[in-house]
Amino acid sequence: MKNNYTSKWVLQRITAIFLVPLTFWFVYQCVSFQEFQFQQMKSFFESYVNSFLFLSMMITMLVHAKLGCETIVIDYVNSLNLQKILKSLINITTILTLFLVVGAIFKLNIMQ
Amino acid sequence: MITNRPLSPHLSIHKKILTSVFSIFHRITGIGLSVGSVLIAIWVSLIALGPKFFFIFELLASSLIFKSILFLWTLGIFYHLFNGTRYLLWTYGLGMDLKTVYNSGYLILFLTLVATFFIWLI
Repeated sequence: MKNNYTSKWVLQRITAIFLVPLTFWFVYQCVSFQEFQFQQMKSFFESYVNSFLFLSMMITMLVHAKLGCETIVIDYVNSLNLQKILKSLINITTILTLFLVVGAIFKLNIMQ
Repeated sequence: MITNRPLSPHLSIHKKILTSVFSIFHRITGIGLSVGSVLIAIWVSLIALGPKFFFIFELLASSLIFKSILFLWTLGIFYHLFNGTRYLLWTYGLGMDLKTVYNSGYLILFLTLVATFFIWLI
């Protein structure tokens, strides 16, 4: 997959297809979040359906964002060394964010 | 290794026509939303950590700067969603004649504004 640009291009589109309904769902939920207190927010994520949809959205969004940011780096950054550094930063940020989300959902659902 | 290759999509050379401006804004909103996804992860982590940590978010959320960023995030997310859907249709060769490209561009602007104001008014 390292230099398989066709696979990355296809994956970028597949994640985009999944993100359309998931993002609409999340933005719609965000409207009610404005009036939510802590307990209501916690209850929202304690629901398996909400957690599953949120986790699916975040994982898909992170893959989509990683692929998109990498493309931008390849297109605009001339120096190959700087490209490598930026790509590593993108990978580290993606992995850390993924751990953060999975950990948070795990704590809200399993360790409640 | 080519180190002096030309950059794409030649921001300083291209004439600023609707299609190129839409493409550039798709990338700008993409970067913004990528940063936003990290912030969403921090937000859900604060909920998981408990009420004391969630209080930090509540403090920030009441500020005008936060509300302004949230408004820009709403604009960005709807623009990226609608324009991204158009790009998906282009992948299948749909709506690629010049007239449809321009009309769908104006439709995206309209839908982005309507959806953003709808979300903020309800």
